[in-house]
Amino acid sequence: MKTKIDIVILVDVISALSDGTLLDGNLAMMDNGHLPSTDQGTPELCTVCQPGQTIQWTIHAVDLQTPVEIRRITFLDTRSDVEDSGDAAVESPPGDRLSLNVWSGVVPPWAIPGAVYKYRLELQMYEGKNSVMTIDSCSLRCA
Amino acid sequence: MTQQLAIIVLIDVAAALKARTLKDNTYLFDNMKLQGSENEGTGDLVTAINGSYWFDGSQAEEQVMNWLPYALGAIPPTVPRSFYSDRTRDSDQEALAALTKIAATPGTNIVAELDRIKQRLGTRASVKSVHRAGHVRPGHKILDLRGEIVPSDSRDDIPELSNAAPVITGITGEAVDKQIIYPAQYGSPDLVTDGWYWSASVDTSRPGIYVYTMEIHLREPVWKHGGWLWEPVRMTFTSKIKVTSLPKRNGFTQADVGLLPLSCPGTP
Repeated sequence: MKTKIDIVILVDVISALSDGTLLDGNLAMMDNGHLPSTDQGTPELCTVCQPGQTIQWTIHAVDLQTPVEIRRITFLDTRSDVEDSGDAAVESPPGDRLSLNVWSGVVPPWAIPGAVYKYRLELQMYEGKNSVMTIDSCSLRCA
Repeated sequence: MTQQLAIIVLIDVAAALKARTLKDNTYLFDNMKLQGSENEGTGDLVTAINGSYWFDGSQAEEQVMNWLPYALGAIPPTVPRSFYSDRTRDSDQEALAALTKIAATPGTNIVAELDRIKQRLGTRASVKSVHRAGHVRPGHKILDLRGEIVPSDSRDDIPELSNAAPVITGITGEAVDKQIIYPAQYGSPDLVTDGWYWSASVDTSRPGIYVYTMEIHLREPVWKHGGWLWEPVRMTFTSKIKVTSLPKRNGFTQADVGLLPLSCPGTP
C-alpha cells in the first residue's frame, strides 16, 4: 500500500478574484493515489484512500506572483449536514502566515470502506471581503 | 509560501539624470504588504521576507525575489514591441508621400518644402556597441512621451524624450556578501523587461534586516559628433529586506501530524 497520497490544488488567482468563483476552470485538483480516484483535474476530485495512508494537500497559484493559501479544510459529516470540526478549535497562525500550515493527516482506522467523506476547502487570496472562497465538491472515498 | 516576491523599481529617469542621483527619484513597491513590508511606494521600502523551517531547523520553503525596473514618464512597456519601428516607418512614409507631392505639383517652392519635410523627419539616436568600435544606429527614431517622432535633430532643441527603461545590471551589498540572498540574472520570454530580469533566492535561517544595492544603468541622450547618442549613466540605489522565520505546523492539529478529523461511527 502506498503510504502517502498528495493532493495538489492549482488556482488561477487572478481569474478567481475577477470572476468571484473557484469554478469555471479557476481551480483544478489532482492526486497521485494508486487507487482510481475520479474527476482528476476538477473541483469534484474524489480521492480513493485507505486507513493508515497519509494525505497531504498542497496548493499552487498558476501565476507565481499571486497569493493563495489554504485557510481551512473541514470534513462535512456524511450523516447530516453538521460540520465535523474534529478537535476543538485550535489556534491558527494569523492570516498572513497561513503558509506555515502543513495540511496533512492520516486516514483513521474507523473510516468505513466505500464511504465518501466530503470536505470543504476554504482558500484565502490576499485579504479583503472577497478574498476567501470555498468549494465543497471534493471528497475522500475509503477503499 | 509558493508566492514569489515582486519588487517594482519605478525611476523618474528625467529627474534622476538631471540630479545625477537616484535618491528621491526612485519609488519601490512590492507585493508583500500583507506580509509586513513597510514604506511601500517610497525609496525606503523594507521588504518583508517571511521564511519557515521544519522541526529539525532546515529551511521549509524557498522565498524568491524578483525585480522589475520601470521608467516613470516613458512610453509604457506594454505597447506592442513593434511600436517604435512602426512609428519610424510611418514617419518615413509620410516624408516620401510629401516628396512625391512636391514633384507632382508644379510651381511649389521646392527648397522651402524640402526644408519643411526635413524638419519633420526626426532622427535616430545611436547606441554604443560593445562589439564594434563606436556606435550603431538602432532601427527606430527618437519618440517623445506621447509616441510622436521628435521632429528636429537640432542640438538646440531640448526635446522631451521618452526615456529608455532603466536596466538593473547587478545586485550587491550586505545581503549578498552575507549570503542572505543569491541573486542572478535570468532570461524571460516576457519581453516587458526586455527579456531579462534579476531574481534571487533567500536563505531565511538568519533573521534580521539586511541592506542590498541595485546597480542601475540609465540611458541619456547626448549630442555628440553631429548626432544624438544614448550614453549609459550608471547609478546605484540601496534597499532593505527584513527576514523572519517561523516553524511549520500541521494545519489540522497545529502541532504534529495526526488523524484526519473524519467522523467516527458511534459518536453522537
